[in-house]
Amino acid sequence: MRINKDMKMAEVIHLNHHLLPVLNRFDIHLGFGERSVETVCRDHALNIDFFLEIVNTFHDPSYFPVRHLQSFKASMLIDYLQKTHAYYLDFKIPEIRQNIRQITQEGSLQNSHKKLLEDFFDSYQHELTTHINKEEQRVYPYVISLENTLDNPASTVKELQEIGRYSILEYEEDHDDVEAKLFDLKNIIIKYLPTSKNNKLLNVILHDIFELERDLNNHGHIEDLILVPIVENMEKALRARLNKLSANV
Amino acid sequence: MYNRLCILLIEPSFLIREGLKTMLSNLGNPYRLEEIDTPLDDLEKLINRLHPTLIMINPLLIPKMITLPRDPESNFNPIYIGLISNGVSTKTKSKFDNLLNLDGDRHELFKTMEKVMQQLGTSQTETDNYTLSERELSILKLVALGNTNNEIADRLFISTHTVMTHRKNITRKLGIKTVSGLTVYAILNQHIKMEEIQGS
Ligand SMILES: [Fe+2]
Ligand SMILES: [Fe+2]
Repeated sequence: MRINKDMKMAEVIHLNHHLLPVLNRFDIHLGFGERSVETVCRDHALNIDFFLEIVNTFHDPSYFPVRHLQSFKASMLIDYLQKTHAYYLDFKIPEIRQNIRQITQEGSLQNSHKKLLEDFFDSYQHELTTHINKEEQRVYPYVISLENTLDNPASTVKELQEIGRYSILEYEEDHDDVEAKLFDLKNIIIKYLPTSKNNKLLNVILHDIFELERDLNNHGHIEDLILVPIVENMEKALRARLNKLSANV
Repeated sequence: MYNRLCILLIEPSFLIREGLKTMLSNLGNPYRLEEIDTPLDDLEKLINRLHPTLIMINPLLIPKMITLPRDPESNFNPIYIGLISNGVSTKTKSKFDNLLNLDGDRHELFKTMEKVMQQLGTSQTETDNYTLSERELSILKLVALGNTNNEIADRLFISTHTVMTHRKNITRKLGIKTVSGLTVYAILNQHIKMEEIQGS
């Protein structure tokens, strides 16, 4: 079922509670009363079409309006993606790490296995952090200043040329799969980690990993299939403008 | 980038698209699907971006004169399924790897799709042995100890290509893709000792 603007926001959560962290990224918080999706978006000064497309891609992974989404502003998208990063690094990863630490203190795992689990997760955390830092320090700032330069009718040739020195192609080519280790961790815990008693905390950890994996999948999908095409269009516009300017000289 | 089956569905009719999706869900393989309902002039670009394994396409939405993009050189080669109805010309039919007759009955439709899934090697009915062979086990140990594919090939007197095939099978059997994941597996199952890695 597609989520639409006339549904009550409360209904949306009943339909799919996995959307709760997504709502947080739009700074929407609980206590909707009877308000509709449209009203809540208006109250928070959000672009309703953008909101609907994001929640629908998350709600139904087979739904992907590749073409439609490209009409949105890059800055809107980046704001959403950055909040998603913050959710991973400041909340979800530390939460899983905390639970792993707790489970290794409980004494239900062998000593050598504890260390394996902790080290593996630490190396994953490192990998994810490196991936995200690269995007936040290099790629996103480029996209924002590309958009600003294009939006400003007074941008000079020099400014246009300067921004054209980087290309999103570089990102497209080495944007790697950040879920692989998580996928492995899931199978290691489910299939291979010997546990001596029925461990409820391990269930919590697994549940969190599934959730994080699904979220990362959607996130990477948005970066590859929406952000990259939007930026490619902007780069096209940039080249057209430079050609026009140089023809006028 | 994603391990799920990626399908590109290019078909103008909403009802047919919905019907196909229901059918795909009933086949039981997890999939990701992109829908297009208008003719595409940039099909090749879209394919390069999405890397679909399966392209289901209505011949009406293929612009005249365009040949379907294929790249036998790369290991990525989508299977094209023509969504046809009775009365489509033989010439049109010959463009596709498989045909799905939209006028066909339930049995015929499912039979065709199951055949395609088998070609893709994702069929659920496929029976397989999930224990590692001797050879796979020795390769697993070498991988876990930090050897590259080339080093393993040299050591075992086999080609790098063969090493890669073995590694693919190991990953499929265990559900573990990364080197560090395989290392953890090898230690948990006492194929190698923790000190062995720290030493190297
Ligand atoms: Fe990201
Ligand atoms: Fe990313």
